[in-house]
Amino acid sequence: MSDDLKAKVQDLIDTMINPAVAGHGGFVELIDVQDNRVYLQMGGGCQGCGAADITLKSGIERLIKEEIPEVAEVLDTTDHSSGTNPYYTAGKA
Amino acid sequence: MDRLLLLLPTTTYRTEDFLDAARTLGVDVVCASEKPSTFEAHAPDHLLTIDFADPDAAAARVAELAARRPLSAVVGVDDLTSVAAAAIAERLGLRSNALAAVAAARDKYQMRQCLAAGGVPIPRFRRIALKDDPFLAARGVAFPCVLKPLALSASRGVIRANNVDQFIAAVRRIGALLQRSDVEVGGDAAQFLLAEEYIPGVEVALEGLLMGGTLHTLALFDKPDPLEGPFFEETLYVTPSRLPVAVQRAIEQVTASACAALGLAEGPVHAELRVNDGGPWVLEVAARSIGGLCSRTLRFGTGMTLEEIILRHALGWPIASLTRERRPAGVMMIPIPRAGRLGGVRGLEAAEAVDGIEEVTITAHVGQELVPLPEGWQYLGFIFARADTPDAVEAALRDAHARLVFSID
Repeated sequence: MSDDLKAKVQDLIDTMINPAVAGHGGFVELIDVQDNRVYLQMGGGCQGCGAADITLKSGIERLIKEEIPEVAEVLDTTDHSSGTNPYYTAGKA
Repeated sequence: MDRLLLLLPTTTYRTEDFLDAARTLGVDVVCASEKPSTFEAHAPDHLLTIDFADPDAAAARVAELAARRPLSAVVGVDDLTSVAAAAIAERLGLRSNALAAVAAARDKYQMRQCLAAGGVPIPRFRRIALKDDPFLAARGVAFPCVLKPLALSASRGVIRANNVDQFIAAVRRIGALLQRSDVEVGGDAAQFLLAEEYIPGVEVALEGLLMGGTLHTLALFDKPDPLEGPFFEETLYVTPSRLPVAVQRAIEQVTASACAALGLAEGPVHAELRVNDGGPWVLEVAARSIGGLCSRTLRFGTGMTLEEIILRHALGWPIASLTRERRPAGVMMIPIPRAGRLGGVRGLEAAEAVDGIEEVTITAHVGQELVPLPEGWQYLGFIFARADTPDAVEAALRDAHARLVFSID
């Protein structure tokens, strides 16, 4: 079941998610699927990006849940502090 | 399910905390930024691009969306978004401050005019046109004074001048700052600056929530590092304040008067004041919550975050408690010591090992161009502490900061 779910998520990442984030120099890797929870890692322009949470929660998670309703949650395992080329950089305002 | 619109600039530190709060509340979230998301085409009802600098256009764009799927609340997370949020709320009939009040709070000159008219103690001030001869503009200004852009925050562009020569240099420096590509100001904010009397004394920040015109103080922070210029970099925030209770009450009263003078009645307020023998003096009142990641020092009731309180209030949901936890807490916004590129950071483990330190978060990335004040607006990161006393919090923050080594090339 988990392998099947993994394959579905990986396919979605390959066909829809990575082509979308590539526009900002980013990419997403599937780390694991456990108990219907999807663990992802963001890289490139997404790693450390000021909009990474928006991309993850309002973009990636929404898309995955719509396409694969059995997914309960999408979790980010990225070390955003190690990002060296974020697309957007935060500042205090 | 309630549907919440969050105005989240791509440059804000606040996105994670506001999205976490929205997730905790279980509301349907729509995110609006000033630049398009890579997923906007996939989720047009949940991601949109609006121009925060054009509140009317932003309101019209959101009204189209709300006509298809109504919104329950709108929250702007910072100064950049506060006016657009008020315009959207006004157009959709959602809970918010009056647009005119928020616009006045966003413009330092308008703000001071409102505060002066309301009898609120503030420094004497003048508006200076950048096109004017600065030597002539300096006539009639009492020294020392502080020069400020009308619409920037985080002490960006704030410079003390002790004499005419420093005044002229500061005016030119602020004029150049306003021309930078990373500064987006228009109208009066691009053509004028503010010169105001320098007020000696200690500085505090009040974090509050306005509900039906009544100010509820959420936290009063001491800023124990001296802020005497020539630039005014904020570093340490420690709460509860160590000022006498009577002084704290006076600060709250003056802040409430300032909010009333501006016409602010709903939502978060972040006020900065100086305190000396003459009592509290209002320096700034912003219709937003505390900036950066500083809100992580605050927990309320049984663990509610500041962001959750703000969202609950905007949604009209009950708030169990506005009482901050009793344990003293604080944050250090790690200042940028000099211009350059960040090469690396050492000492993180040693800093986190300091008794009382909860977390050290480095937000600047390796290779990032670092711009110190007064032109800069970012920090290297944030250090958070909790301890038994405010003094212990402050000591822990200073100790942890001293253990960090930043390589800047």
